[in-house]
Amino acid sequence: MGVRELEAEVDRQTQRSRGHLARALARLARKKIAVVCMVSLAVIYSAGIFAAWIAPYDYTAQDYTVIRKPPSYVLDQGIGGFWTESHFAGTDRAGRDLFTRVLWGIQNTVILTLVAMLTGGIMIGVSLGLVAGYYGKRVDGFIMRIGEVFASFPDIFLVIIIAATLRPRILDWARALEDRFDLLDGLVRIGIVDYFVVSIALVGFGWIGMARLVRGQILYLKETQYIEAARANGASTARILSRHLLPNAIAPIVITVSIGMGAYVGTEIILSWLGLGIQPPRPSLGTMLLEGGHISVIREEPWMLLTPGIAAWLLILAWNLLGDALNDVLNPRTR
Amino acid sequence: MKKLVITLITLMTLAAIACGGTSQSADEEPTQTPPSASMAAPADPGATAEPEQAQTPGQPGTAATPIVALEQQPSELTEPLPTGTFRRLWSDPPTLDPHLTGDTTSAGVVVEVFSGLVALDTDLKLVPDIAESWTIEDGTVYTFKLRPDAQFHNGKPVTAEDFKWSLERAAAPETASPVADTYLNDIIGAQEYIDGKASEISGIKVIDAHTLQITTDAAKAYFLAKLTYPTAYVLDREVVEGGGRSWWIDNPIGTGPFKLSEYRIAERIVLERNEEYYREPAGVETVVMNLAGGQAMAMYENDEIEITGVGLYDLERVLDPNEPLNKEVKVSPPGFSVSYIGFNAGMAPFDDTKFRQALNHAIDKELIATEVLSELVQPAYSILPPGFPGYTNEIDGLRHDPERARQLLSESKYADPETRPRIVITVPGTGGTIGLDLEVVLEMWKQELGVEVEIQQVEWATYLEDLDEKKFQAYAGIGWEADYPDPQDFLDILFHSESSINHGDFRNAEIDAVLEEARTEPDIVRRIDLYHQAEQMIVDEAPWVPMWFTGDRYTLVKSYVEGYEMTPMIVPKLKRITIEG
Amino acid sequence: MWVYIVKRLLWLPLLLLAASFITFSLGRFGPGDPVRVMLGNRYDEQTAQRIRHELGLDRPFLAQYGDYIWNFAQGDFGESFRYRGQPVRDLVIRKMWVSAQLAIAAMVISLGVGLPLGFFIAHRQGRWEDPASVTVALVLMSVPVMVSVPALLWTFCLKLHWVPCSGWGGLFDPRILVPAITMGVPGIAGLTRLMRASTLDVLGQDFIRTAHSKGIGQMTVNSRHVFRNALIPIVTILAFSLAGLISGAFITETILGIPGIGRFAVESVFDRDYPVIMAITLIGAGAFVLANLLADVAYAFIDPRIRYQ
Repeated sequence: MGVRELEAEVDRQTQRSRGHLARALARLARKKIAVVCMVSLAVIYSAGIFAAWIAPYDYTAQDYTVIRKPPSYVLDQGIGGFWTESHFAGTDRAGRDLFTRVLWGIQNTVILTLVAMLTGGIMIGVSLGLVAGYYGKRVDGFIMRIGEVFASFPDIFLVIIIAATLRPRILDWARALEDRFDLLDGLVRIGIVDYFVVSIALVGFGWIGMARLVRGQILYLKETQYIEAARANGASTARILSRHLLPNAIAPIVITVSIGMGAYVGTEIILSWLGLGIQPPRPSLGTMLLEGGHISVIREEPWMLLTPGIAAWLLILAWNLLGDALNDVLNPRTR
Repeated sequence: MKKLVITLITLMTLAAIACGGTSQSADEEPTQTPPSASMAAPADPGATAEPEQAQTPGQPGTAATPIVALEQQPSELTEPLPTGTFRRLWSDPPTLDPHLTGDTTSAGVVVEVFSGLVALDTDLKLVPDIAESWTIEDGTVYTFKLRPDAQFHNGKPVTAEDFKWSLERAAAPETASPVADTYLNDIIGAQEYIDGKASEISGIKVIDAHTLQITTDAAKAYFLAKLTYPTAYVLDREVVEGGGRSWWIDNPIGTGPFKLSEYRIAERIVLERNEEYYREPAGVETVVMNLAGGQAMAMYENDEIEITGVGLYDLERVLDPNEPLNKEVKVSPPGFSVSYIGFNAGMAPFDDTKFRQALNHAIDKELIATEVLSELVQPAYSILPPGFPGYTNEIDGLRHDPERARQLLSESKYADPETRPRIVITVPGTGGTIGLDLEVVLEMWKQELGVEVEIQQVEWATYLEDLDEKKFQAYAGIGWEADYPDPQDFLDILFHSESSINHGDFRNAEIDAVLEEARTEPDIVRRIDLYHQAEQMIVDEAPWVPMWFTGDRYTLVKSYVEGYEMTPMIVPKLKRITIEG
Repeated sequence: MWVYIVKRLLWLPLLLLAASFITFSLGRFGPGDPVRVMLGNRYDEQTAQRIRHELGLDRPFLAQYGDYIWNFAQGDFGESFRYRGQPVRDLVIRKMWVSAQLAIAAMVISLGVGLPLGFFIAHRQGRWEDPASVTVALVLMSVPVMVSVPALLWTFCLKLHWVPCSGWGGLFDPRILVPAITMGVPGIAGLTRLMRASTLDVLGQDFIRTAHSKGIGQMTVNSRHVFRNALIPIVTILAFSLAGLISGAFITETILGIPGIGRFAVESVFDRDYPVIMAITLIGAGAFVLANLLADVAYAFIDPRIRYQ
């Protein structure tokens, strides 16, 4: 085989894997459950991100005339009145609208988990996995050993240690910075710093799984003929990694991201449940679940638990089901 | 010894599913009442409200008059002792070694199993315990006569030698007791011994097997009351030395009305009546303390425990006269405590009195108390709690007055929101919520004054450190609780500019002068008058927003339980309980 | 193979050192101080200094760390800062035993439902039961613990009066029902899928076809050959999930007041109970590595194609 043919063969292989991905996506689109999941995720995510425009009330607005009110709907004041006067999900002890608070809580969860997944899971995890898998030997050993140290901490124990001990100091530091530079004004108030700390905590243990997975894929792929061919052909490392290896590892990455997002959402809720997440007065799903989970509250005001509970459940469920569907479609072995 | 308590209303009542951190602070500071908390801090608000210091409203003898035990000797056992089991929720005590005890969770168990020279009655009067009588010379030399019949649970008689050894063990540096200095350092030579500079406490002398002499460095009215604390309890030397640091787990030998018959960490403590007790034996055969926790209210209604506190969420239901539960409600005596939002007068913008006053006037506490907290608390407009010595209802507090608040704000240095420094309030805790009352207050400031305040929650360990270092600009979620009934314990300790517990760095020379004058004023009426004066000045200067007097607390006790008394402090009291039927 | 095992075991102490060093530094250099927590409102510099000295907290950082590791290596975990007078080893062992019991109960539920379900749907491949079962399992798995625990408690304790509302009574106490369900149900989805895949694998193999062709009845083939062979790969992951269950149960433990290791771990962080934090980190990390190794080795025995260098 001449050089030309080899190059063509390599490209064909890559093309084929892209075609494979496209076909998989087509199959996914035919799966009703996957479509439902994607649509609900889109709805939940936009509801959260655009909470400021959608929410009928201010999340701190207190109204003492409607304290602990069950869900209620105002039907006699037109569409505008229906939206701004109703309490779709009831109110809490300070007369705050729960629907509004859940929307804002979703916003926190959504932003945090996306940031954590993008930085920790995808950027750090994938690149370390690629590097480890491609270079092998010492590099691989080093990265994987570090991963093992992080992974060996009992579950979210490390997250809690980080969030509990470092958060107050980072906040102080951020405030000082903000006071010095006018430009940064309001960062702490809108919770950016909280986001930052919580995502660091999430990232801390989130990258390992992804790195392992990618590394395994790469280890397998780089032994295949066409990569060897590409290398023999003088393709640069960067080109091999980005053009050939990464596209072929996409499928398992997508599955992992989807299932991992469910886990991230769960962890974020646990952190805020513990008081280590986004701080009041900004609402978060975890603190709302904490308040609503009291047995006496369930007895008298079940909507206090059900409203944030259902939101959290739907969010996790949609990711899990989507992950399952993707797994079916992309992973030929278990089909 | 001062008492700082977490009084986050939510932690008290809402944080049912308190996390580990909350339980930590609950144990640390049992004054917060998580009656319905699943983490099972002591479920009895009476008991949980107990200040750790044993300085009491009793009248410790200062004259050299002998105080003789009036109590009867154990009644002749003509009829069998009553049976019955008393079950309650408790949290896992950090220790049951009396000499290491420094928290109410531990003390609540320790005082039932161990005992010392003197004790507190349920009405907080000082009564003889192992010492049947004593004399006091010059106010400093205490000579105790021990009961000849007092014995350890293993049958060994208690001697004066045991007491000397025990007190020295409590004070020994290697014991590392957190409270030895507090409770024992009035004894001559004790501080040197605690610091490891002496081989014995010179102020403790064994006269004979049943006579013990303790000399204090000065006439101290409260000395006897201090001896009621577990730090001064007697232990069996052989048992302790033979068992290492954890002797009390393997072989908990004490002298008290109950024997510790079972201790399973974080599961349960079972106390069994000590039939050989030197005073009247207990009225119940066993006491089971459930340490594993659960939802207290549900457990009570399921007949799993005999007593529980009532939290915010159950209050309305329990107070409804049509509810069967309503007949079992007991109202505990009000605790001597006040919760507040503290301002750091040393930091902008709280260095401006007008700004502080404006924030005070902007809050409608009546509304919060009735609408949000279901009247679980009483709004505070002064510092001293009602019923407390020196309390007067004539203090003119900074009441809700939005007009005045806005005016004060506009007159203050920080009227302009553009140049006003950022404001951060720090609250302790890890329970997830910051306290509903505080959230409402923030909203009121925003609505009435346009003052935006950031809030940050810091877990208890960090909070304590930063509070001591006066690093907070403003702080909330804590309260102050009386150790002993004297206005000095509130006003001087909290607001004198030299006090180490003046966390808000509040300085006012005039107020200092009044407080200092009151310290030494011998005339009681005039002294109280000085404190009134000081309190009014403090309230006017607004270093705090006083929030709540915790007011009456509600407890449910099963109707078949007799003799359970609510006390605002930890005292031995389980022996008085009887179970009917 | 043996070389691989020895290599991994040699790596263990290094890993423990690294993990413990991270925890140790976070504790010492982060804010918060165990002595302050111990003294609470009684804080006074002199007393604090005295206690710090007794606990050895006033020594240089590396000396403290070195001493700790040295004692740990000899099996002495120190004394808890919070539970004064109690050896950390005893505390941790007791709490771990509680969590282990919980994990076992949860495992029983996951396995009891997951295995038969996976086995069943493997035989119904392509029919509606197949995707429906997995979907239902996923739906249940996605309910956050903070929702499922209170809801179950309300149902079982307040409405049905099946179980007492209090926390913990051991493996054979009805109170284990609620935590076992909340911890066991999330595992069903994964196990079902695994069992399904594994059963399909076995069903496709030659010896099953041979068995069928020999005229052996469907039931016999199923019970004697398929089920048993399908279980093998599952067993290998059990040790692993058990290790995960022990540490991952802290919310359930906290809400229900169960005195397990998860709750203890979180409390120890808030209390700055360094000896306990360290012990839990080290034990947790060690268990993780060993479980990992066990799984690897088991895989190698089952699937001879896997080779470790």
